[in-house]
Amino acid sequence: MQVERHQTDILILGSGGAGLFAALHATQAAPNLDITVAVKGLLGKSGCTRMVQGGYNVALANDDSIERHFMDTIVGGKWLPRQDLAWRLCTGAVERIQELENEIGCFFDRNADGTLHQKAFAGQSFDRTVHKGDLTGIEIINRLMEQVRARAVRRLEEHRAIEFVPAADGSGIAGVLLIDVRGGTYRFVQAKAVLLATGAGPSMYLYHTPSGEKTCDGLAMALRSGLDLRDMEMVQFHPTGLLGGPDTRMTGTVLEEGLRGAGGHILNGERERFLAGYDPAGERATRDVVSRGIYAEMRAGRTTPMGGVYISMAHLGAEKVAAMFPGMVKRCADCGFDLAGGLVEVVPTAHYMMGGVEFDIDGSTALPGLFAAGEDCGGVHGANRLGGNGVANSTVFGGIAGDSMAAFVGREGRWREPDEAALDAGIARAEVPFGRPTGDLFGLRDRLARTMWDDVGVIRDRSGLEVALMRIRDYRAELREVGVVDADRRFNPTWHDWLNLESLIDIAEVIARAALAREDSRGAHFREDLPEAGPLETSIYTRVRRQADALELELAPVAFDIVRPGESLIEGAAGAPPALAEAGSPG
Amino acid sequence: MEAGLLDVRIWRGGDEGAFASYRVPARENQTVLDVVTEVQRCFEPSLAYRFSCRVGVCGSCAMTVNGAPRWTCRTHVKRVADDGALTIEPLRHLPLVKDLVSDVETFFDKWTQVGVFEGTATRAEPPAAVAPTSRERAAADAAIQCINCAVCYAACDVVGWDHDYLGPAALNRAWTLVNDVRVADRHGALERAMGEGGCHSCHSHGACMEHCPVGLSPTASIAGLKRTAFWSLLKGRAA
Repeated sequence: MQVERHQTDILILGSGGAGLFAALHATQAAPNLDITVAVKGLLGKSGCTRMVQGGYNVALANDDSIERHFMDTIVGGKWLPRQDLAWRLCTGAVERIQELENEIGCFFDRNADGTLHQKAFAGQSFDRTVHKGDLTGIEIINRLMEQVRARAVRRLEEHRAIEFVPAADGSGIAGVLLIDVRGGTYRFVQAKAVLLATGAGPSMYLYHTPSGEKTCDGLAMALRSGLDLRDMEMVQFHPTGLLGGPDTRMTGTVLEEGLRGAGGHILNGERERFLAGYDPAGERATRDVVSRGIYAEMRAGRTTPMGGVYISMAHLGAEKVAAMFPGMVKRCADCGFDLAGGLVEVVPTAHYMMGGVEFDIDGSTALPGLFAAGEDCGGVHGANRLGGNGVANSTVFGGIAGDSMAAFVGREGRWREPDEAALDAGIARAEVPFGRPTGDLFGLRDRLARTMWDDVGVIRDRSGLEVALMRIRDYRAELREVGVVDADRRFNPTWHDWLNLESLIDIAEVIARAALAREDSRGAHFREDLPEAGPLETSIYTRVRRQADALELELAPVAFDIVRPGESLIEGAAGAPPALAEAGSPG
Repeated sequence: MEAGLLDVRIWRGGDEGAFASYRVPARENQTVLDVVTEVQRCFEPSLAYRFSCRVGVCGSCAMTVNGAPRWTCRTHVKRVADDGALTIEPLRHLPLVKDLVSDVETFFDKWTQVGVFEGTATRAEPPAAVAPTSRERAAADAAIQCINCAVCYAACDVVGWDHDYLGPAALNRAWTLVNDVRVADRHGALERAMGEGGCHSCHSHGACMEHCPVGLSPTASIAGLKRTAFWSLLKGRAA
């Protein structure tokens, strides 16, 4: 098989907040290096930074503090975050937001006195979310995209990475094997340092929010390379995904948090409110609690015609709703639904993976030369991510990784000779569907999505997880028998759908395996058979790796090196994180 | 049209391609992107099309639908089908890659030709104080939430005949830069927007404004640039 070969100093996979920040910082730190960004779609257009509605958490205001942001992150994460990473997130966010405003050109919304406006967001003890209207991500990613385009950064757009290729001598990573989507050909890019910033994305669930390209390819490559994935059972569900039926891509996309915050009602199929029966805070409870309440109601059969629940805003006044949420109202209207005055069917939807590759505070991983940042990484958020900490995470650690890679290449970077057998194996894997009879590829993806939703989703238990693990392994075997017509490989979406499904199956198995091992209920992970959070002092986290063809799992103790359960860095009740203030209430 | 079926014609191939026809079930909740997806899944596994976010934020999925450029993920079939018929083509004014996928490189080259943000402050300093109600902030804001989908570029007549014309999206971006009080050289931003292929090439047909899916008015931004350029010339500041 013909492979085009290239060399670059730093290869960045992904062009969301993490990838683009890494590119900018690497060019600033080492202007002479050759830097390449490879992305599955178009630069800055695929990935979820662009989709950020809420905003960016940062302790900027006089009465706020890094300590308070940190405590909110730890308590929200149910004491599972790696504390040094969470602290770095909170300190780094201050510099990064100023960099976004002053150097990148983002023009965030202001208070009357001209300072940055910061809004309230769930699970936080202070109004600290910087934003641009309710479409903050567009402003962040457009400005980052312009800055990267204006610099001498090579772009490999519509290039999908399929394998980390190790060095022949086993000393680290030699480069990455990619498919040029437009050409339908293979490309090997040899690099002294590589950044994994492809953004994970739990799109193996029946209802999911991420963009179409996000199919856990990066995590699947990391798993194949023997890297450890942590906290993989922690999948955040957003309570209100749009429900449009099985044959539309609009299904699963997010209707924003603020609708509930503003007083929106969630109604069951009998058009009755029900969430107060699950939590005293009703619709205003946190994402995980509301998602579980809705899921339980759906399981009890009190559903809407399409199998979800309703969100109802009309009691607030249709005109007022249209003025408060113009973007959401227009989006629903475009899809044929009346959010301001009618009922819109919604369903919990898989939104974000807190888990991911284990990485160090400088962005490095256990594979020399490979760095990681953003949603592909685990440890920053623990069991739950606060709204507004996602884009902070990708931009803070993306920038750090860019600095680190520039330093690494200057210090010890070299082009390593690739392991040609591994390269060939990577191509052979991508060739599997060619030459086989076609089958029901999309039906198979639907079955995986249904299994994950039913048995590895919002509410889990042992027997369901065990069944799911068996089914997922069967799906993998089935996929290997499903072919793709080998007529025209150029921009062939069905070939990529096949490859997407392979990544999703691999990571689905890891999620199910970690969920089976975690025998308590924390944050996004809820075991109906083991509903207690368990003692915080002896908290463990899950760590999964692949050895030969089997998954290995270990339970590792969480280190409390900055603050211990029961302690706080904040004095007095006034500044205490919300879940500490309301002891026992899950956040 | 047969009841319950859409008659769909889709461009296949490159510049020398042809339309192919398909019958796709009509559904209650169905966007144009869903129709394209269904054709891929059921009839044409190698049908090339581009999409990403599914919610009108990324601007990847724009195509020509029954003659007009549109974002397909947010275009309900019922709004555009002509007696059950849909004709779907790639965006105009851009080189074709394959089927429904255009090469958007020139669009983005022009976007950055108007300049990118360069401020005066650094990451070590707090953000500049900018009054939210100031005239300049309001002008900058009016143009800011572009998703760079290239619909306006495909809709613009001038782009069609003048290959050097920067186009509505780039000039709309320029208008924000000119009004952004944090920009170090706002006059330079204005000069780039006034130069060859700039705002004076616009004939104010308003097709960009008419087709912009997020309701921006590049026409107004370009008019603002022309006005500012005029006063700037009067003051003798421009070359």
